[in-house]
Amino acid sequence: MKRKQIKTLLGGISFTTALFVFQACYGMPQDMQDDVFIQGKVVSQSTNLPIEGIKVESDIYEHYGVTDEQGEFAFYTPWVESLRLTIEDTDPESAGSYVSKDTVLITPEHELFLNIALEEN
Amino acid sequence: MFSPLKRMAFHKFRRAETRLHELNYLFWECTTRCNLNCLHCGSDCHVDAAHPDMPVEDFLRALDTIDKPARNFIVALTGGEPLLRKDLETVGMEIRKRGMRWGMVSNGHLYDRKRHLSLLNAGMGALTLSLDGMEESHDWLRNRPGSYARIDQAIGLAANSERLNFDVVTCIHQRNLEELPFIYNYLQNKGVKAWRLFTIIPIGRAKVNPELHLSDNEFRAMLDFITEYRKKGDMDVKFSCEGYVGSYESKVRDTPFFCRAGINIGSILIDGSISACPNIDRSFIQGNIYKDNLQQIWQDKFKAFRDRRWTHKGECSDCKEYKECQGNGFHNWHGDKDSPLVCHKGKL
Repeated sequence: MKRKQIKTLLGGISFTTALFVFQACYGMPQDMQDDVFIQGKVVSQSTNLPIEGIKVESDIYEHYGVTDEQGEFAFYTPWVESLRLTIEDTDPESAGSYVSKDTVLITPEHELFLNIALEEN
Repeated sequence: MFSPLKRMAFHKFRRAETRLHELNYLFWECTTRCNLNCLHCGSDCHVDAAHPDMPVEDFLRALDTIDKPARNFIVALTGGEPLLRKDLETVGMEIRKRGMRWGMVSNGHLYDRKRHLSLLNAGMGALTLSLDGMEESHDWLRNRPGSYARIDQAIGLAANSERLNFDVVTCIHQRNLEELPFIYNYLQNKGVKAWRLFTIIPIGRAKVNPELHLSDNEFRAMLDFITEYRKKGDMDVKFSCEGYVGSYESKVRDTPFFCRAGINIGSILIDGSISACPNIDRSFIQGNIYKDNLQQIWQDKFKAFRDRRWTHKGECSDCKEYKECQGNGFHNWHGDKDSPLVCHKGKL
C-alpha cells in the first residue's frame, strides 16, 4: 500500500495523471468509464411465457439488448444518473405483438436485473 | 526537453512502478489467423495459422488466477485478426463479469455495423484500428485492394460511438510519409480524437522490404510533423511508445518514454505461452498457462524485463542517454540480442 502511495506521489510530481493512463505500444487505449450491466427477462403478461425478439434499449445511442428464445437479454450501457429504457417489440409478426413501454426511468446501480411483463396488443 | 525536476521525479516513479509491477494490461493473442496478408506483418500471420485458436475456457481459467486485478486492469484482444473469432462477445461478457475491462486491436476489415453493436453491448470499452495511408498506400501495405473502403467504414462507426475509447494507428513508411497532412484531415473529418504514429520494426515480413523503413531524414520529418500537429490541439496526435527519441521526447508524447513490457504489460500467446507484449522475441517467454499459474509467473518471473541492465551493451554500451532509454522498446531485442534492432535516438 505504501509503495502504491509513493508511486502515485512521484507520478503526480512528474506528469500528473497522464502517466497512469498508459497504453501498450501495440495495444488500444485504456478504459476507465463507468458502465451499467443490464440483464433480465421479458415475458407475456397474460401467459407468463418468454418472448423472443424484444429490444430493450437504453437512451444512450447504440446500447441495447434483444431477447433470445428464453426471453433473456443482457447488455452494457454507459452509467448515467438516470437512465431511460425503451422496450419494443421488433418482430410483431413472429410471436404475437406486444405493447411497447417507452419511459422506464431508473437510477441504476452498476448491475441491474429486470423482470418485464408485456401486454399483448 | 522535460525539466530536470520532472525527469528526476519520473526516474523515481519508474523505479517505484517497476518494483510494484502491477499487471494492468494483458494481451490475449486469441488467434493467429488473419484475413489480410500485410506487407509489414511482424507476426508473419497467414489465413491458415499453425496454431488453432485458444479455447475461451482455457483463457478464462488463466485469467481467474489473478486474484486481485488492478483497478484499471484491461484485456487487449489481439491476433492475427481477432474479428475472425465468432465468440468475442462471449469472451467480452465473461471478462466484464470478472470486474475487468476489455478492448481490441483490429485491422477493421470485418468491423461492420452489426459487429460494432454486438461488441459494444458486450462491454467493449476500447478499440484501436489501423489506417496505413490514403487509399492507394493503405491498400498497398494491406496487400489487398478494397481494404481502405473497409477501414473507412470501420473508423466511421467507431469514431461515432459515445462509449468507445478509440484511436487510429498508422505505420509510417516511405509511401505514406508525404500523406500525413491528408490523413490528419481525413481523420479529423471522421471525428477521430486520437491518432498514434508508428514506424515499422524489421521483424517478420517487414524484414525484407526496404520501402517499409524510414531513412534518418524521413524519421525526423515524421517527428517534426507530429510536433507541429500536436500544437493544433484539436486531435491527440502522438508518436507511439515504441522507442526513445531523445530531444523529441517532450514534443511528440505527453510523458517520457517508458517501456512497460513485463512491468505492467503481460500477454497470453496463442499456444498458452506467457510473455509481455506479443511482438517480443519468443525467447523471452516466461511460462505457459497450460502448466503454470499466470499470477505466480507474473509475480515471480519477468526478471529480464524488470532489471534491464543486461541491455547496456552493444550499441547501448556507450550511450549517454541510456538512463532515459534503458535499451529502447523491449521488442527491439531479437535474435542474438547483441544490440537493439533499432535505435530511434541514433536516427536523429
